[in-house]
Amino acid sequence: MTTKMETVIAVLVIIAIITSASSLWYGFTVVGDVSKLTDSVADLAGSVADLATAVAEFKNTTEADLADIVDRVTAVEASLTPTITVVGPWSGAEMDAFLPVLERFEALSGINTKYRVLRAEDLITLLPAQFAAGTAPGDVIFMWGWYIKENGPAGHILNVTDVVDEADSLVGVYDQVKVDDTIYGGAYTGKVKPGFWYRKSFFTANGLTPPATNATWAEFLTFLGDVAAASGTGIPIVSGTGDVGWPLSDITEHFLITFGGPQLQRDLIAGTVDWNSTQVRSILEDRLVPLLQGNFSDPLPWDSTAITSWWAGDYGLFFMGSWITGMVDDPDDLGVIPLPNSTGLVFAADYFFIPTYTEHLEEAKELFKFLTSAEAQRLQVQVGGHIATNVDVDLVWYPDVDQMVANVTVGKETLLDLDDTIGGEFQSTFFDQLSLLWVEPDKLDDVLAALDAVAP
Amino acid sequence: MGMGKITARKNFPLFFSPALILILFLVVYPIFQTLYLSFLSSSGEFVGLSNYSEILSRKDILNLEGFPKWPPLGALIHNAIWILIHLPLSMFSGLALAIILRDVKGSSIIKSIIFLGMVTPLIVGGIILQYTFTERFGIITAFFDTLGFEELSRTWTAYPNTALFALIFGSVWLWTGFSMIIYSAGLATIPKEYYEAAKIDGAGPFKTFRRITFPLLRPLNIVVITMTVLYDLKIFDIVFMATGGGPGKASTVLAFEMWLQAFRYSNFNGAAVIATLLTLLTSVVTIPLIRYMVRR
Repeated sequence: MTTKMETVIAVLVIIAIITSASSLWYGFTVVGDVSKLTDSVADLAGSVADLATAVAEFKNTTEADLADIVDRVTAVEASLTPTITVVGPWSGAEMDAFLPVLERFEALSGINTKYRVLRAEDLITLLPAQFAAGTAPGDVIFMWGWYIKENGPAGHILNVTDVVDEADSLVGVYDQVKVDDTIYGGAYTGKVKPGFWYRKSFFTANGLTPPATNATWAEFLTFLGDVAAASGTGIPIVSGTGDVGWPLSDITEHFLITFGGPQLQRDLIAGTVDWNSTQVRSILEDRLVPLLQGNFSDPLPWDSTAITSWWAGDYGLFFMGSWITGMVDDPDDLGVIPLPNSTGLVFAADYFFIPTYTEHLEEAKELFKFLTSAEAQRLQVQVGGHIATNVDVDLVWYPDVDQMVANVTVGKETLLDLDDTIGGEFQSTFFDQLSLLWVEPDKLDDVLAALDAVAP
Repeated sequence: MGMGKITARKNFPLFFSPALILILFLVVYPIFQTLYLSFLSSSGEFVGLSNYSEILSRKDILNLEGFPKWPPLGALIHNAIWILIHLPLSMFSGLALAIILRDVKGSSIIKSIIFLGMVTPLIVGGIILQYTFTERFGIITAFFDTLGFEELSRTWTAYPNTALFALIFGSVWLWTGFSMIIYSAGLATIPKEYYEAAKIDGAGPFKTFRRITFPLLRPLNIVVITMTVLYDLKIFDIVFMATGGGPGKASTVLAFEMWLQAFRYSNFNGAAVIATLLTLLTSVVTIPLIRYMVRR
């Protein structure tokens, strides 16, 4: 207490001396009048007297008074510091993993942040009206890449070409938010969709061994038969779905990439290969459709029924993105099996943008830069389930299970997510038609015709 | 005529104008703006009826190719099916419950429980409904599994031939509370002397219902039918949550297609066309009913 008070007294004395010296300097240099010097000396004497009074008063100041002053100063400071709103899709445990990143930003920048949960599926309903009214629900908003790309040139989303340094990021990761050479969004961390997840303990208990990465299709089918025998329901793979249907599209893309090669994924995105083409049809007809007859469960809500049933051993395998490592009780019990001989896999980055209607442009840009930085992404990846897009985040920052995921990706080409990249009518049709194919595989012709009608 | 009446008549425009202004800005203007949008292209040019032709030729809206084998038959037909099944089911189950519970001790508690479906947000209702019809987890599928109906013990919302029915039956549960409460209120207004007289005359329960209860509840039928048809035409939330209109568009409805056009396909003019169609359909249903009510 005494030390604190002495420090404060010393600061006050210094301030008084500086003030008085300034008065003297002002008197000599600006006016140059001796009478002013006299006045200054008088002022100095007054200041010293005031200081003496202040010191005397300060001696009577209690710790509670000091604490009160500190609180008031802090409140004033906080009211002067802008707060920017970050809109993101993560809630629950995923939000808890993201908030420390924002806290770190606050500590570094002195800018306050407020996090608001809104999924892309919700934002898509909200944003058109907000944009039309010249406003936005946040200053930094996470959203699908295709949406950013579509609304950037329309003037609703800030051109951030000058804010982004593509050299710091994975090659091609900005293609999804770039129109010509103009970048409209930032790439935060992302997730890969590496294959079918299994519980190591379940495999050990049932004497199951994952197939070799270069196993034949027949060997893979035998493996599925073994998993089916060990699964509580007699079905080896649980199919996850949601109110939007994307998990089925991820499985389908994995089949297309494995059996058609990475180029097929790119061609389908570009619209240079038809969904009715022999190549696509044969992959689905020969590989996926036969498995839909008995090897996949009916679609179940992915984040509740599907995941709990799989974890409980009702099913042996669950196709999901790498974020699953942050959603299970024991991530170290996880293993992942890609389709044999797969040469590519989807990497889906979480993109974000600054709406042109932000009232805190400079602060939003600061956060934008931070989210693309290695520091922010290190904080995020170390809690699991995320893969950095910034190339300066080393593997050592990842939990063991994510290092395993990283190993699965070695030697494979990373590709853009098919439906996330195309977006619009194709995306919702893709989800809807696959949910039909899953339960009625004999309708493949109808499904392909419907997809072909809306594909780019 | 008293002074009060004269003053009220003089001030009529004054009292009427706030409501009128609100209706003009919040109802009339949006209706005409939507109508106007439906005749424009995305770039704002007048395109006549081409948006209507485009929307009505979409299989999502009307798919008669599948008829009589179905689904999907398109949102327009799905809405009609919805009305055909949901309206009588919820209306008569509400009426039956109101009559059964009329003289039951503690019926207000049972009625409150049934009415819970009505006050449950439809988004939540959609989630509950999805689980109710999920294989191994839902009460309905478990019931049919016990009875040995394999087809009906699967996840209803996952299959095209059951998805729409899952939604309709689920919405019966959500909506029956409304008709039950309306009919309960109506039953309370029927004098007990009528029933006593019928009893003395030797009328049985069915005859009493046919000759006394039903005729006296007729005005309330208009309310229940109107509100239920409006509910069925604008149904969206439970479709969005439980099936997303699928699989393969098997359970899509007009309001859901309107949402898709506006917010997934960024086609606001197409959405305006569907909104206009919905307005027309609701007007066709409600205007004659309201006129009938006013005449009475």
